[in-house]
Amino acid sequence: MPALEIDRLSKSYGAVHALRDLSFDVHAGEIFGFVGSNGAGKTTAMRIMLGVLAADAGEVRWDGSPLDLESRRTVGYMPEERGLYPKMKVADQLTFFAELHGMSKADASAAVERWTDRLGVGGRRGDAVEKLSLGNQQRVQLAAALVHDPLLLVLDEPFSGLDPVAVDVMSDVLRERAAAGVPVIFSSHQLDLVERLCDRVGIVRAGSMVATGTIDELRATGEAPWLLAWSERTDADAVRAALAAVDGVTTTAVPGRPDAVHVLVSRAGAEQAALRAALAVGDVTQFAPDLPSLADLFRDVVSEEAVAPAEGSAA
Amino acid sequence: MSPRGPVMLVARREFGTRMVTRSNIISMAVMVVVILAAGVVGKLLLADDAPPQAMRLAVAPATSEISAHLAVPGTPDGGGIAVEELDEAAARAALQDDDADPRLKAWITGDAVAPTVVFEQDPDPAVVALVEQAARDVATSRAVTELGGDPAVVHAAVAAVTVSVDQVVEPEGELDGGQWAVAVTIISLLLFALIGSGSMIAMGVVEEKTSRVVELLLSTIRPGQLLAGKILGIGAYGLFQMAVLGGALVGVVSALGLFPDLDVDLGAAFVLMIVWFLLGFGVFALLFGGFAALVSRQEDIGSVTTPLMFALFVPYYATLFLVPFQPDSTLVTVLSQIPLFSPFLMPTRAAAGVLDPWEMPLALALTAATIPLLVWVSARVYRRAVLHTGGRMKLTEALRVTNG
Repeated sequence: MPALEIDRLSKSYGAVHALRDLSFDVHAGEIFGFVGSNGAGKTTAMRIMLGVLAADAGEVRWDGSPLDLESRRTVGYMPEERGLYPKMKVADQLTFFAELHGMSKADASAAVERWTDRLGVGGRRGDAVEKLSLGNQQRVQLAAALVHDPLLLVLDEPFSGLDPVAVDVMSDVLRERAAAGVPVIFSSHQLDLVERLCDRVGIVRAGSMVATGTIDELRATGEAPWLLAWSERTDADAVRAALAAVDGVTTTAVPGRPDAVHVLVSRAGAEQAALRAALAVGDVTQFAPDLPSLADLFRDVVSEEAVAPAEGSAA
Repeated sequence: MSPRGPVMLVARREFGTRMVTRSNIISMAVMVVVILAAGVVGKLLLADDAPPQAMRLAVAPATSEISAHLAVPGTPDGGGIAVEELDEAAARAALQDDDADPRLKAWITGDAVAPTVVFEQDPDPAVVALVEQAARDVATSRAVTELGGDPAVVHAAVAAVTVSVDQVVEPEGELDGGQWAVAVTIISLLLFALIGSGSMIAMGVVEEKTSRVVELLLSTIRPGQLLAGKILGIGAYGLFQMAVLGGALVGVVSALGLFPDLDVDLGAAFVLMIVWFLLGFGVFALLFGGFAALVSRQEDIGSVTTPLMFALFVPYYATLFLVPFQPDSTLVTVLSQIPLFSPFLMPTRAAAGVLDPWEMPLALALTAATIPLLVWVSARVYRRAVLHTGGRMKLTEALRVTNG
């Protein structure tokens, strides 16, 4: 059974439909990447999960029952709009948030010490938040989401504004929480990170989930072309001509790669014939299925959105 | 966690972050020192106002019969009269003696029933009247003795005369100077504390919106709990300020024995001030908290707090101008029962001692009853407006009945 179920959420701001029947599940111990272009509804969905906004329709369930105020205390949340008390000291502030989430004073202090050290801001515990650099404020913000040992993590753009070292620490923390059985949802525009970290990904467009699944599942949609590249000594025109002559094979140019083509096959085994034909006229340096990156998939979704604007304004 | 848990946590944070700042500790210390210093300076200045000395009069030996009749109580400045016997030369010298303290006021000579009063320069009509009365008493004594009577009996009978006064139209009560001073001090402290804590609440609400920390808070606690905690914490801080400053004031006045003639029970006035601070705070804090949620930036706070400042200043000035001259007029009595006015009018009128027994309990009950109503309105406005960002939200919009 999924730990967290987002069930047909809808939300409108006046005439703008921010969410329409948005549904997805996150399982225990799973890192779920939430991607979509700006304004697609990611932040609205997360705010509704945390009860900061009320949905017009739909429900968020946690272990089968609605996610209420009491169970929201066990959630670690990092809002898109970062926010901490600017004049309050780092340790005081984190202790306050830990206690609000139901920790005892002693547990809170110990957790604050542990997390500030882990996130590299242990030396700044006695400083007011406003005195920290933006990057360090970001780390404190993350500590605020983690300090109470949450049973569910909802993080809106947790990687934005972090340096590479912090990104690594953050990635480790997310993996570690997931390994402990905590479902983790995060949104990001850094798709390479999402691809690397997430067990499953959901792509949102105009308030609806248009694709969910593992990266491999998403890639499996549609035939992947083969990438065929050749050495410098090889005559490119001869290769192209040889490939064009193979039955059941078409080629397309690869953007930015004058030494390669995409080979699309329309009958089983045609790629083997294409490889032999290419080898007959030159040196092949690379021949492999060219799986789309998440960025490619994402771009496809966005371009679909661009060609079908009518869908976005209907309903 | 119990539902009271988060409210108390928020309250503790509000109280703690305000109390334990260097600026707060310094400003409180400075204010207490100023009050103590003002008390000591006041004591020194008031001490110059020494108790009135006896008026010094002299009588020529031949006129000494009048002396016994001069020593009447109730002289103009209340200091009594000291009478001595001097001959003409000594008296003339004493009248011009600049170093004498007290200086000889007048010398009485001639026949005891037709005396001459000698002054250094300007005759004092009060002294002349006094001597005239004494001479009449001498004449009366002589006549009574001649008629075979006892002058002492006659004088005792005359002294026993009393005159009572009655009026057809009852005068309106007025505050005396001491009551007025106490009343102004109380309501000024009250105004200071209510404006101070009201602004603190407004700024606290907007700070949470500006810094966006409110979103993190509201993912854990209800808006009502956040507002309640904020009001409790800042209220406790305001009460602490009020108790320290008011206590210092009362302490200084009683310890140094300033204003010995004060016709006000300072301890009771202090307690009333605290009670009305709590009630006034209940009313105004809720208004400040709810209204402040309508704006998102510190620079917009003025647009929502200005009407509330008016709501504080109008009762303050009404109290300042109405109560001294007509503390028990119908207008003042009615205004005293209106919750926004009661916190200022009631302690002032109580200090003046013009309250009918029913007035204070009714005003307390009415103001206390307003608070739950304001809790409902403020929590509603706050809940709807606190996550609204951008321009100012209209009050009507915040009150509209929709979910969200």
